[in-house]
Amino acid sequence: MSRFLGSLRDGIGFDLILVGAAMLFLLALAGLPLVYNVLMSFQQVDMFTLGSLLRPFAGFANYVAVVAQPEFWLVTKNTLIFVFASMAGQFVIGFALAIFFAQNFPGASTIRGLFLVSWVMPGLVVGAIWSWILAGDFGVFNAILKSLGLIQATVFWKSDPNFALWSVVIANIWLGLAFNMLLLSVGLAAIPRDLYEAAELDGANAFQRFWTITLPMMRSTIGAVLSLGLIGTLQQFDLFPALTEGGPANTSTVAGYWAWQMSFQLYDFAKGATISVMMFVLVLFASVVYVRSTRHEVRG
Amino acid sequence: MTRPYVPWLLLGLALALAAVYLFPLYWMYVTSLKSGSEIFANPPTFWPMAPDPSVYPAVWTRRTMGTFLWNSVVIASGVTAITVILGTGCAYVLARYRSAWIDFGLFLILMLQVLPASVMITPLFVGFNQMGLLNYPRTAVVLAAAAKSMPFFVVLVRATFMSVPRELEEAALVDGNSRVGAFFSIVLPLARNGILVCAILTFMSSFGEYIYSKSIIQDTALQPASVGLSGFLGPNSTDWNSIMAYSAIYVTPILAVFVLLQRRIVSGLTSGALK
Repeated sequence: MSRFLGSLRDGIGFDLILVGAAMLFLLALAGLPLVYNVLMSFQQVDMFTLGSLLRPFAGFANYVAVVAQPEFWLVTKNTLIFVFASMAGQFVIGFALAIFFAQNFPGASTIRGLFLVSWVMPGLVVGAIWSWILAGDFGVFNAILKSLGLIQATVFWKSDPNFALWSVVIANIWLGLAFNMLLLSVGLAAIPRDLYEAAELDGANAFQRFWTITLPMMRSTIGAVLSLGLIGTLQQFDLFPALTEGGPANTSTVAGYWAWQMSFQLYDFAKGATISVMMFVLVLFASVVYVRSTRHEVRG
Repeated sequence: MTRPYVPWLLLGLALALAAVYLFPLYWMYVTSLKSGSEIFANPPTFWPMAPDPSVYPAVWTRRTMGTFLWNSVVIASGVTAITVILGTGCAYVLARYRSAWIDFGLFLILMLQVLPASVMITPLFVGFNQMGLLNYPRTAVVLAAAAKSMPFFVVLVRATFMSVPRELEEAALVDGNSRVGAFFSIVLPLARNGILVCAILTFMSSFGEYIYSKSIIQDTALQPASVGLSGFLGPNSTDWNSIMAYSAIYVTPILAVFVLLQRRIVSGLTSGALK
């Protein structure tokens, strides 16, 4: 007994308690719901059996039903567009800004810090602001584009089926850009300066230096940024109710919002769970990439 | 290559980029100060003709923002407390060892946060219902949101712990400290700044928590400000200066804290953290 107590103070027991408390909490509030979701996707669920665990087994019927939904392929396409366009925008602009702010000029880190305000803003507020900026008749975005001569006719960003999804993408890029920039800035700062100086002496131009030094040195950072970006983008929810509510005619519905609509607007909990399990497989892939990318990190 | 005026050109460009990027925030404040008719002026005015802050007190009382914001503070404080207390120790252990088990633990923690909140609600709702927690809806939201924010906190704080030199801790052990003593008297103080920064970020992000609150809290008197905002958002909303005033009241405290602590937050995150 005293050995056990001793190990709590001084040995492996101390570590186990620290990890175990957090793990138990996470397993109860995130692990169990995950299992419950998987379970539910293989069962017949209705309002009356929502609270019970034992329900008629449905096999893959829910999966077949979800794929047979008329909007399934539209939502899949939207999800892919939303995820790739958001990630590409956040990553490319974030990387460009990170490189720009890595230059040596007065106020660089302070101004870069200001960009991070978008990161701490509630998603719903960001959605509300962009909803007003992108409004069709009175939105300032259209006014600016018109005064620059980029568009002639008013674009109804939120209600035109061709643009509704892109209005959420624009808001999401704004929201996630700063976080990408911050992570990439950290990666850039970790690259030793003398590598660049040596390359410059050898006659490498800026593009060659970027290609042969920056990119390879940042491989693990880029992996982390992209996988965290994928997870974050798939989880994005707040912008949809604030901007388009998935409309018009599902043209801006993505998997996460669709799953929520299935469960909480149509009360088809089995289908909602099934969609979420399908998403989960995708995210599993991203997490493997992330964990692999942490392998390359330098230990302090 | 480096001419004396180049840094100043870069500074100018940086300011221009920041102005473009922060325009949405500016637009929020400007819209809230415009009159109802000026909002729909075409083309829009970029500076309000007659700035009128009277919408602020009106929105504050009509939308009972005092209650909403108080609930947001309660929920965010609860989430932060649980996340910091449970997450810090976990991050420390994950940073100290290097083994397949640690990789597995990290992987598990990441996997547990990846399901979108929008689909976790059904199981959580059912579970909380069984435990009778729905009678204490804010507590239920705090628990759910803490589970959501903890993995990110653990990943960030783990990086902070990794930058604490191991030798210091080993020296303390050699000097006769126990693991517990070394943890509290050496490691925690050294990682304090990183933990504080991550705690502030956790608070800020849970201050905007929306989806759990919307689904779990039915009583208006207990709802946070995000749910209050969604109450008058929608495809047909026209009351834009009220909505922007509400948003401004909601985010200005967070933005003020952020700008004040910006330097510390950025340096806390960039010094060795976030690998």
